[in-house]
Amino acid sequence: MSASVSLEDVTKSFGSASHGPASHGSASHVPAPAALAGVTLDVAAGSCTAILGPSGSGKSTIIRVIAGLEEVSGGIVRVDGVDVAGIASEQRGIGMVFQRPLLFPHLSVLDNVAFSQRVGGASRADSRRHAQHYLDLVHLGGFGTRSVRELSGGQEQRVAIARALAAAPRVLLLDEPFSALDPALREDMHQLLDDVRAALSPTIILVTHDRDEASAVADRIAVIQNGELLQHDTVDHLYNRPVSTRVSRLMGGLNEIVGRVQGGTHVSPLGHVPVSPGTPDGPGVLVIRHEAIEVSPCTEAEPPTSGVVGHVSRVRRFGPRRMVSVTFGDGVEVQAALPPGDAVQDGGRVALTLPPEAVSVVPR
Amino acid sequence: MTSRAPVSPAEMLARPVTRIRLPGDPGSTLTRSRAPGRIVRILSSVLVAGWFLLPFVPLGLWAFANDWSFPDVLPGEWGFEGAGSAIRQGALPALGNSLGLSLVVAAIATPVGAMAARALTFGSVPWPRAVGLALLAPIALPPFAAVMGLNVILLRAYIPPAAGLVLVLVVMALPYTTSTMRVAYAAHDLRYEEEARTLGASRWNVLWRVHLPLVAPALSRAAFLAFLVGWSDYVVTLIVGGGEIVTLPLVTASMAAGIGNDAAVAALSLSAIVPPLVLLALAGSAWPRRGQTTNPALRSRGEQE
Repeated sequence: MSASVSLEDVTKSFGSASHGPASHGSASHVPAPAALAGVTLDVAAGSCTAILGPSGSGKSTIIRVIAGLEEVSGGIVRVDGVDVAGIASEQRGIGMVFQRPLLFPHLSVLDNVAFSQRVGGASRADSRRHAQHYLDLVHLGGFGTRSVRELSGGQEQRVAIARALAAAPRVLLLDEPFSALDPALREDMHQLLDDVRAALSPTIILVTHDRDEASAVADRIAVIQNGELLQHDTVDHLYNRPVSTRVSRLMGGLNEIVGRVQGGTHVSPLGHVPVSPGTPDGPGVLVIRHEAIEVSPCTEAEPPTSGVVGHVSRVRRFGPRRMVSVTFGDGVEVQAALPPGDAVQDGGRVALTLPPEAVSVVPR
Repeated sequence: MTSRAPVSPAEMLARPVTRIRLPGDPGSTLTRSRAPGRIVRILSSVLVAGWFLLPFVPLGLWAFANDWSFPDVLPGEWGFEGAGSAIRQGALPALGNSLGLSLVVAAIATPVGAMAARALTFGSVPWPRAVGLALLAPIALPPFAAVMGLNVILLRAYIPPAAGLVLVLVVMALPYTTSTMRVAYAAHDLRYEEEARTLGASRWNVLWRVHLPLVAPALSRAAFLAFLVGWSDYVVTLIVGGGEIVTLPLVTASMAAGIGNDAAVAALSLSAIVPPLVLLALAGSAWPRRGQTTNPALRSRGEQE
């Protein structure tokens, strides 16, 4: 049932002519999407890929192009290896769920879910029977006769997902579907997405600006900025092996230490930090997640056996943990997350251990 | 040197304390009487209602008065002579003509206005402001001036009076239908239609099953206004219609110009009120649950986009 999706050098530009005087102060208009610059992306059948990027980066444009709601300006979109250029959105077999549930207000919950079967020519009774199955799947089996106005935000989005799934799409596109929900509800929806994957294993492409959401639901993440795909990799690699400082920053990385690689070691004001073998010599920026750094207090008298030693310039709260800023030599600062406890204090000396498997060197 | 006398605890307690005012205390906004405001509100409602309803009182009396001489407060003799006289003057065919003409005008002006509004709202029209103003222009133009000129053109172009009449009335109805539909489309979210397409709906299905149901309440309002334009027109029907199409306003006006027809004119006027009222009631009952939330797009305006 599920299909692979591939984008080959897809570009999209928006002429000012087509999107000129569209706005009359109405907030409900579809905002003019951001452009794409040569995006190449392969999504395996049955996998879940998150497209992660800040707003206006073009991430929604990617899935609008896949859905056929926007024409590409250049490049090829393939679904199951077949070029879909010229195939109308309604014939692509690609489901889409938007940030707003967009349930049809003139139809009951069940008839919303039955919509795809109805427009496909099924009888009212058959399409409703079919729809009931999907309503059960999203745990809203008893809500069929209700008006869509009687649903809460989370329920609405569940119905929207059921409605998209009832069309048996080869690919399911989700455009920030959970951003308007509160965090607890979002957790539920992530669980629901897992259930859906277990039951139907559709190919899912999820657009989000939330790193945690991307890593919670997706197998792979594609990071996009300014219409450019920066990296498409596993969740682990994106966090620990970013290919550039831009990716590192978008993934929430805080540490960038400028230096150069010499024979498997990164040399910087930090000192000599071993890097993974195969890193080419030359100038490079060392990036490491603050969570990956091990912090241990030390004193002048007993120098640490490994790692680099610096001065604590600041300790502050960072969500559930505390974050320490450690200064080295001429102003280079490293952020590290602290384990529970308060052994580390302002002005003290600490040793930082940078595990080689978490250290990456990226071009400047 | 002055020194203040020590204050004893008893004196301290005896001093008046500025207590925090609580919501239920006398003088707070919660306990203040709202009677004057309420009286003004009720009184003004009654006055406005009276202003609307008062003209119908003599109309209702005259319609059923066979005889009503000057100093009498009420008609001297009740009956249906007014209605009978109106029917003898061709009121029934005129009523049919009026209905037919108004329905045709509504049937053309509503979809055309909706299409214009959609194009204007979603930005596929160059110079939308200028086009919007041009569409409103028929309201600003004195109909008599425009129609005199138009009539010459229509006659020279050999356009049959009935067709010319419909043409001109549709143009006069377009400002109303277009502006009604522009309001509706401004709150309309195109993503409903995109969602329907990704669910496999053809363009026809999108229109029939999603687009039209979403704008249906606005469409019925627009159609009602267009109907009224045809229903209440006099000048255009008289001049462009060239006397070929006799509608209710024409019969009413010609009878009103005569003497001693007060009862017939009143009966005609009353019968002219009924069809729009019936339509209004129909339109109101067809969309019972909409009302304030005509478009669900309005509900989530505050959501993060």
